[in-house]
Amino acid sequence: MPHYDQVIIGAGLSGLAAGIRLARFGSKVLILEKHGVIGGLNSYYTRQGRLLETGLHAMTNYAAPGLKHAPLNRLLRQLKISRKEISFCEQFRSTILFSGGQSLGFTNDPACLADEVARLYPGEAENFKNLVDLVRNHDPFKPRPWSSAREKLREFLGDQRLIDMLLWPVMIYGNSNEHDMDFDQFVIMFSALYLEGMFRPAGTIRDFLQLLLDHFRAAGGELRLRAPVARFGIEGARVTTVVLENGEEISAGQVISTAGYPATLGFMGQGKPAISAPYEGRMSFVEIINVLPASVRRELQHGGETIVFFNFDEPFDYRCPDEAVNVNCGVICFPDNFHDLPPREEMQIRVTHPANYRLWRGFSPEEYSEQKRFWVERSAAVVAETIGNYRRNILYQDVFTPVTVERYTGKVHGAIYGSPAKIRDGRTPLANLFVAGTDQGYLGIVGAMLSGVTMVNQHIFSESQE
Amino acid sequence: MNRQEIREVILEIIQDIDEDSSIEQLKDDQPLRDQLDLDSMDFLDIVMELRKRYKLQIPEADYPELASLASCVNYLEPRLQDV
Repeated sequence: MPHYDQVIIGAGLSGLAAGIRLARFGSKVLILEKHGVIGGLNSYYTRQGRLLETGLHAMTNYAAPGLKHAPLNRLLRQLKISRKEISFCEQFRSTILFSGGQSLGFTNDPACLADEVARLYPGEAENFKNLVDLVRNHDPFKPRPWSSAREKLREFLGDQRLIDMLLWPVMIYGNSNEHDMDFDQFVIMFSALYLEGMFRPAGTIRDFLQLLLDHFRAAGGELRLRAPVARFGIEGARVTTVVLENGEEISAGQVISTAGYPATLGFMGQGKPAISAPYEGRMSFVEIINVLPASVRRELQHGGETIVFFNFDEPFDYRCPDEAVNVNCGVICFPDNFHDLPPREEMQIRVTHPANYRLWRGFSPEEYSEQKRFWVERSAAVVAETIGNYRRNILYQDVFTPVTVERYTGKVHGAIYGSPAKIRDGRTPLANLFVAGTDQGYLGIVGAMLSGVTMVNQHIFSESQE
Repeated sequence: MNRQEIREVILEIIQDIDEDSSIEQLKDDQPLRDQLDLDSMDFLDIVMELRKRYKLQIPEADYPELASLASCVNYLEPRLQDV
């Protein structure tokens, strides 16, 4: 039976980062990926010769080169990836748009959002500054019980609408709780989005994944595709083997699973502890990808922006909708609108809305197709009111539902942000099994990768010294 | 390895961790952390690199011994004498 010092389940960003970190220092590491492509939630597929990205709208946590303590630069050092290997393209500008046309714009310069808050709510300018100071000085990684971000925000800001507007992008880009979110998570995301900012690599997500894979392999790491895990072999309170669906057994010193907490416990088979409901996330989404001629951009409102976070619901609530999709709120992303990207003949408009997994799961195949058409139409009507009529120019369109996400990523119920109850320290009932990624509480692409790195540092590199 | 060789290995490892660090200006008796503006994740890399190169296990309790270049050399000298 083959033996590895560590087996990592999942070749998504957290798994690849963990793998590079381990292989760098001489561990014999194997990554098992159940699909034929790597990337997990942030991957790609091709249709009609076009490479389409899944997941990635923008990377958060932008940092200029000299900022040594910024999460992005710390991450690159930990993986020994030079900044020269990636072209960093910063966002143009993004907008938070609420009903009545109220909007707040932001760029990668935090002063922009502060000015916008002062413009819309002159009486809140000082309060907002105090909130930013708090966020900057708060260590969100110190272990603490869940505390309400809304409550904390109400201590600082008087206007409920302003609180909702600030929360909306933070929530839709990574909150697995409904209605409210943990204050520590809020701090992580607020910094990542508003204080550090958004960027993307100049290439596609495939190029970025390939860069990570090259580093992993160069350090001696091994990857197996189409290798779904069925269960663990367990002795006492330790994983001894990882058993694949084809029956093959692999011996492992330690296991890092990025499959999500419920799925990971599922590998324990009969002996698995009962999972209480909070570990099953309820926030899932539909995403509509539209490909259009690049010339359309000039005709569109917000066509020169990177992301529009819109909400026309009154009152605003972040929740799983009662209907299959809530088209009144969502994200319109123009993934071509980043500085220094090579010019292209086509552009994309990606639209994301909260969706109801249970309803989508329950549709018959006929209903499913019909519902897809129905909701794409409803979505397009709302989006066209915001950006203008883009529909007549669509060259290609594709739609993901929560069921698609579940099928391709293994995230239970298509809950891309995982379980509302986070496993901050990555520990599980088994002494040498750790979880990383979505259910570990870090968010976004940089966050996912830092999660992989941190779990290795905390559990593998320190444990072997005991 | 002698003291000079150990010092050079540490400098090489630091340069490897952060290509922007200016190791020429390092003062041997001052804390590395302040001079290099690195954090604990980076310092773990020094420990891991020493483990990888010389199979040297440095327990967490001894990390403070690696605070400055001079203390690193003092700490490592007896441990790397046969290398």
